Amino acid sequence: MPEGDDEADATESAGSAGSTESKDTRDALAERRGLDAPVYEPAEDSGLLASAAVEHARGVTLEVGTGSGWVAEQVRREGDATRVLGSDVNPHACRRARDRGVEAVRVDLLAAFRDGALDTVLFNPPYLPTDPDNEWDDWQEVALSGGESGRKLIEPFLDDLPRALAPDGVALLLVSSLTGFADVVEYAVDRGFDAETVAEESYPFETLSILALRHRDHEP
Amino acid sequence: MKESLLDIVCCPLDKHDLELEVTEREEGEEGEIIAGTLTCTDCGETYPIEDGIPNLLPPDMRE
Repeated sequence: MPEGDDEADATESAGSAGSTESKDTRDALAERRGLDAPVYEPAEDSGLLASAAVEHARGVTLEVGTGSGWVAEQVRREGDATRVLGSDVNPHACRRARDRGVEAVRVDLLAAFRDGALDTVLFNPPYLPTDPDNEWDDWQEVALSGGESGRKLIEPFLDDLPRALAPDGVALLLVSSLTGFADVVEYAVDRGFDAETVAEESYPFETLSILALRHRDHEP
Repeated sequence: MKESLLDIVCCPLDKHDLELEVTEREEGEEGEIIAGTLTCTDCGETYPIEDGIPNLLPPDMRE
């Protein structure tokens, strides 16, 4: 049983003192999004990703870090995907997604997906830049924190994406201005992708963009 | 999990095929696998399927 004590871990919140600017921003975002459960609930970023995904997803579609499974469920119901999977490292999230009718798999980013197996990949990553001294160390932390740069999970995701994405596939990555939009685009381009912004919305703390990534060398 | 998931997933450590062993399956021809084990055909690492969800985290991430 790999997850024997998750329930206890998930409800325990090790909130630490200290008030850096990034922590204030994170707390404000957490409050706005009602984050006290062990699974990330749908918020405005989810809506932005879902509408882009319904439009672009096709074939075998994976939502990485699916959380509650809400985005994946929208795509399954309204999009043209033939199959919609949701993955998460959080076992609570996997169960929630499965309860919504999304095929759930507990996987770290793209590690357990075959080469070229995914026609569409969706990812709303944990992206809030986080002071390493002020981490919460619970599932909510895992759902929000992108490390000091905000790109702690975006970079390994982009490192493995060229392998797992089908030659004519597309990945839709949600990028916040808090994470450094230009840095993410540059990182993706360096890994052989064409990057195109397909949706964008501004909010009080940040601008959210949906970046569509396609293999640059693919001839349609 | 559906058996056809094996066309999409692989061992997270070395990307080789996984072999399925079923201990509990839903009724019906297309019944989903509720419990069982996935074993890497190359390195032999095993991954549990519990409550219909395969856990394909590498051993050091399972806690």
